[in-house]
Amino acid sequence: MSIYDKLFPPKNYRLSNGKEVWQKRSRAPLYVLLVLIMSVVSIKTTKFNPVTLVKRGNEFFVILGRMIPPNPSYLGSIWNPIFDTIKMSLLGSALGSILCVPFAMLASTNVCKNRVIVAAMRLMFSIVRTLPTLVSALIATFIFGLGTIAGTTAIAIFSFSYIGKILYEEIETVDMGAFEAMEAMGTTKTRAFIVAIIPQVLPSFLSNSLYNFEGNVRYAAVLGYVGAGGIGLILNEQLGWREYPNVGMILVVLLITVFVIESISRWARKKLV
Amino acid sequence: MEKRIEEAYAKRPKDWIYHLTILVVVLGLMFWSMSSMETAGTTQNGGKMALNILNGIVHPEKKLLFNLTTQGVPYLLLETICIAFMGTVVGAIFSVPLAFLSASNLTPKPIAFLGRILIMVIRTVPAFVYGLMFVRVTGPGPFAGLMTMSLTSIGMVSKMYIEAIEDLDTKILESLDAMGCTTWEKIRFGILPQLMPNFASTAIYRFDINLRDATVLGLVGAGGYGAPLIFAMNSYRWNEAGAILVGLVVLVLFVEWVSTKIRVKLTRG
Amino acid sequence: MIKFENVGKKYPNGYEGLKNVNLDIEQGEFIAIIGLSGAGKSTLIRTINRMHDITSGDLTVDDVNVMSLSGKALRRFRRKIGMIFQSFNLITRTTVIKNVLTAFVPDMPWYRSTFGIYTKEEKLKALEALDKVGILDKAFFRADQLSGGQQQRVALARTLAQNPQIILADEPVASLDPVTAKQVMDDFKRINKTMNITILINIHHVDLALQYCTRVIGIRAGEIVYDGPASAVNDDVLKQIYQGGQEETA
Repeated sequence: MSIYDKLFPPKNYRLSNGKEVWQKRSRAPLYVLLVLIMSVVSIKTTKFNPVTLVKRGNEFFVILGRMIPPNPSYLGSIWNPIFDTIKMSLLGSALGSILCVPFAMLASTNVCKNRVIVAAMRLMFSIVRTLPTLVSALIATFIFGLGTIAGTTAIAIFSFSYIGKILYEEIETVDMGAFEAMEAMGTTKTRAFIVAIIPQVLPSFLSNSLYNFEGNVRYAAVLGYVGAGGIGLILNEQLGWREYPNVGMILVVLLITVFVIESISRWARKKLV
Repeated sequence: MEKRIEEAYAKRPKDWIYHLTILVVVLGLMFWSMSSMETAGTTQNGGKMALNILNGIVHPEKKLLFNLTTQGVPYLLLETICIAFMGTVVGAIFSVPLAFLSASNLTPKPIAFLGRILIMVIRTVPAFVYGLMFVRVTGPGPFAGLMTMSLTSIGMVSKMYIEAIEDLDTKILESLDAMGCTTWEKIRFGILPQLMPNFASTAIYRFDINLRDATVLGLVGAGGYGAPLIFAMNSYRWNEAGAILVGLVVLVLFVEWVSTKIRVKLTRG
Repeated sequence: MIKFENVGKKYPNGYEGLKNVNLDIEQGEFIAIIGLSGAGKSTLIRTINRMHDITSGDLTVDDVNVMSLSGKALRRFRRKIGMIFQSFNLITRTTVIKNVLTAFVPDMPWYRSTFGIYTKEEKLKALEALDKVGILDKAFFRADQLSGGQQQRVALARTLAQNPQIILADEPVASLDPVTAKQVMDDFKRINKTMNITILINIHHVDLALQYCTRVIGIRAGEIVYDGPASAVNDDVLKQIYQGGQEETA
């Protein structure tokens, strides 16, 4: 019996035939209250004001308006950075997804029996995942210098933690029956893992890696802002110079790229699962 | 008998060509993407730099970490929580109509397609572009950050809402129909109870992400811990950056732990 | 009292779901409808509360022509006919009692139904309905935490709370194990006996049908091939119901 139930005792119902049932009080009012408090604090802290939004909302569309029509003659300067962005995300996603496999194995309780290692691996994945990609990109530019290597590193780090977490959860829920059957037939643990577990997790692993890649193409666009190469670099530059038609063109190209990559990846993922 | 086995053997799937093609394509893509790995070269020795950074992060500046004024880490994080919270709320609310418009099992195909395109556009435009636009509306500060967060949330949240709507169990509507319920009653008692836990869960999940993504807001002066963090890093004050990062990591891990608990409760009851 | 007179149902693609069906069903009967999948069992049952339309003949329930109803009148008509489904059709993410309470929704004023406010009287009625099917102790559990048999009983309680004259059950035990199936059939029988509710049940299990029901209707390719007491069903009758159909499909 929790404190809540003591404060608000369960409600009693007596049926006509004398039977009794108790209904615990709903927690919903508590949650509603919490959300309300959070909202009030947030509105105060952020100075959220709908009136400003209504009055000056049109200002939002001023920059948008200047982007239209986009400047097609700028297209020539976009090709290289956009391909850089794709390459960065492709290589970063692949590196991260592959590197995380051994760590994810060590983080799943059904493969690694040592609880300390499992806990350490999971904590590592969690902490790495908390690190904002922008921060790892910034750090990477300090270490590797400005350019696409920094971006690739940041994406690889993010993919490592993202795919790693999904993968160890996936390995945990795998059907161990086949693994045990292989062991019973006299194969080694490693062979049993390869034969019995990999086929079970491979399709979803590949599918998640592709999905991660999709998302990274989008994210890579932001990374350029801190000098980690790719389309974000020229986007930042053109925004700074207030060349809005060029910005519009960059966004159009980015949209088409993301659309094409998403379509291909969705098609591939459908074939996988 | 043997002939049958031979026939079965001859019918085995011959998909090695298919697999080889995939392998070649993937390897080709990898080599292609390695072609432009470039760097402008570091001003300092990279390794030494890395050590400095690591050193700073493991020795966070305690004064900043426990400073309770508006300059300190606790206030920065509070401001970020507020931005992320309100941003998620506003985004989650705006996502509802958008998701219903774009769910292919409810709306005519062309409209649903247009809705999806709109969602994709919203998702794809980088957050700092929105940030710049909103700073024009609200002036620099957390308000602009909140609006940016809400817009970037719409992209992902509405996409997950659509999935929830398309997964709806419509059999319950049949039984409500047989009971004599009106259309509104069917929505209220057949659809909303199915969607509410799902929608709440998605919003909570997005709140997690928004906390982490709030770094980006610092780039355009839209509030939160992003600006001081990037500023500290750019001026090589690693202890300061470390203090903010440590605070952030602890906060995000805590929020994630809580939100996972709530979400499990929402889906399993 | 339900009366079928030369009822036929033709689908737009020309397929005949029901052919020249004539039936008289008195209040309080417990009827099993048996036949192969696709023979028209479901269609037959669903025409009674007009979940399906008929295309010829006359179907009256308590002297009301079902095909003449629409909108509000149809909804009010459906209030007195309960329906049970193979897949239970519960709102799995809410509590058992809230599922049962939905039975009162059509009779509630709009502001109460919109905010989901129920009176104590309604809650007690719902609890009593749950007690009748023996799962009172699960009232405040979430429906998805219950087993299949328990979920079907929640559906039954929901129907009982509606206070119907007729219960239509479309394969109510098809997704339950044999023991639970028997328990649910026991519930049906008790309800039929003590509350004098007409029950029409579509069922695959011939043995359960013969054991529990008083009257059996055999249907094959949309036509009634047997209509009589359960005690008179023998191998010849079953052959007529099941084998004839197999030859057609083979």
